[in-house]
Amino acid sequence: MSDLALLVPELILVGMALVLILVARRIRTARVAVVGTVLAALAAAVASGWLLSRGTETGFGGMITLDGYSQFFKILIASSLALVALVSVRSIDREQIPRAEYHVLLLLASTGMMLSVSALDLLTLYLGLELMTLCSYILVGITVQRPTSNEAAIKYFLIASFASALLLYGISLTYGTTGGTAFVDIASALSEHGLGSNPLLVVAMGLMVAGLAFKIAAVPFHSWAPDAYQGAISPVAAFLATGSKAAGLAVLGRVSLVAFGSEAQVLSVLLAGLAALSIIVGSILALAQTDMKRLLAYSSIAHVGYALLGLIAGTPEGASTTMIYAFFYVFMTLGAFCVVIALGERGENLDGYRGLAAQRPLIGALMLLFLLSLTGIPPTAGFVAKFGVILSAMRAGHIALAVLAVAFSVVSAFIYMRVAVFMYMEEPREAAPSHLPLAVSAALAVAALVTLIGGILPGSLVGWAVSP
Amino acid sequence: MVNEYVGIAVSVALAGAIAGTMVLLGSTLGKKNPTSVKLAPFECGQDPLSLPMGRLAIKFYLTAILFILFDVELVFLYPWAVVYRTLGPLGLAQMGVFLGVLMAGFVYAWDNGALDWK
Repeated sequence: MSDLALLVPELILVGMALVLILVARRIRTARVAVVGTVLAALAAAVASGWLLSRGTETGFGGMITLDGYSQFFKILIASSLALVALVSVRSIDREQIPRAEYHVLLLLASTGMMLSVSALDLLTLYLGLELMTLCSYILVGITVQRPTSNEAAIKYFLIASFASALLLYGISLTYGTTGGTAFVDIASALSEHGLGSNPLLVVAMGLMVAGLAFKIAAVPFHSWAPDAYQGAISPVAAFLATGSKAAGLAVLGRVSLVAFGSEAQVLSVLLAGLAALSIIVGSILALAQTDMKRLLAYSSIAHVGYALLGLIAGTPEGASTTMIYAFFYVFMTLGAFCVVIALGERGENLDGYRGLAAQRPLIGALMLLFLLSLTGIPPTAGFVAKFGVILSAMRAGHIALAVLAVAFSVVSAFIYMRVAVFMYMEEPREAAPSHLPLAVSAALAVAALVTLIGGILPGSLVGWAVSP
Repeated sequence: MVNEYVGIAVSVALAGAIAGTMVLLGSTLGKKNPTSVKLAPFECGQDPLSLPMGRLAIKFYLTAILFILFDVELVFLYPWAVVYRTLGPLGLAQMGVFLGVLMAGFVYAWDNGALDWK
């Protein structure tokens, strides 16, 4: 029974999902489902924190672990779930989305993420990621009446199922060459023989990294992200950009550090390539976007590149900088998406931001804060995050990569500051947006607080980021 | 080692012989009275040769999904029944939870009118 205690956060989310499924037809307003989901997410976060105090444990025959790393990401996933549920209120009523089903899918996708970040076995990891992606397919296409949403869902489904096949193929090759799917077995087999003993292992590692790179939308496995984000409703896009990326990064971090830790040399080449390409392509393509969700999609691709910089070193210190990056990235991206959602139709287009600061000074100021943070300008959390990963890449000896990252920060400044210029230096062309629902304001406030406090006192928020 | 496979070989040969005899008897002794419907390839409830743009009643999928629900249930119930005594009350409780989760999906489908065949 003590094994089950490790999964209390997941069980809370599944329990709430089951309750919502059973009362689905009896829920009259979206508010009930939102309150339930937010409460479950908070309970899961509290449970994760409480479990952390029990120290490191493994259960289910060494398949599930409870350590600082998994609990860090579980709390991060739970908070992104809570914030996304909060900002969904208006979209659900406007788009006539089935209320209970939407929240059930959010809850189950988060359960999958939590399972995958605490997995110590390739199969548990795969199951968790699949649960997450299966729910995400439906979430992207949940507005069945809109053709763009259907198109996005089909594209996302085709590409992501291909990625899952790659990942699964990588797992099977790893099993075939090392004789185990548990990270411990793989690591011990690798330390005995090394990659040189079997060239298939390199293929296996490459396939697994490729499959996981699809999940976090790193270039050249990024093509689904802009279309999926644009076609999905904004809260779902926010969920894909934050929760699922955090989970993907966490999984990639654990696999590369624990399972393939002895082959850091080969891995760092793969990861450095992914990071450099993501930063370059993501930043340059974001320049050309006029759709706000596409812009944020390319921005999230670039940010994944920065986050990967921490993993290149292959050291626990490097991985903890990636954890910090993921943490702050989730909140600042959610904040930017909150503003997009708060503005409704107007927020989807770049032109909608013209003159926003004059009409709604507070929303304008908050958006500016998130944009500054996404650029990486002090005193925001984005600066702390970027500083950490670039420093980690420098220490690992990747000077050229660090220079590239800094140079493209300047390019990204142009992307984000363009929105700021529209907000502050242009005349408004559209009517002022209506007042925000309380839930959206609350989510905005939380995201803004974390972004600010993270920039001034980062240690108070992420001091407990310990790598596996 | 080889002897273990003799039984399988015998059953494969027997199955092949029986099936082959049936087909042979049917084609030699049976009456031939072909019509266009009889000559068409057999497919459940569906025209086998049609353009993929055509419509298909969604009820087929609902029924299939509900079938899978009970199929999965059965797959786990059989081995559980075999080792029921060794698992004891804890096994009963675990199976109860499993069936509960599965039935929640069924109740949801029922609630949404998946069983109303109209």
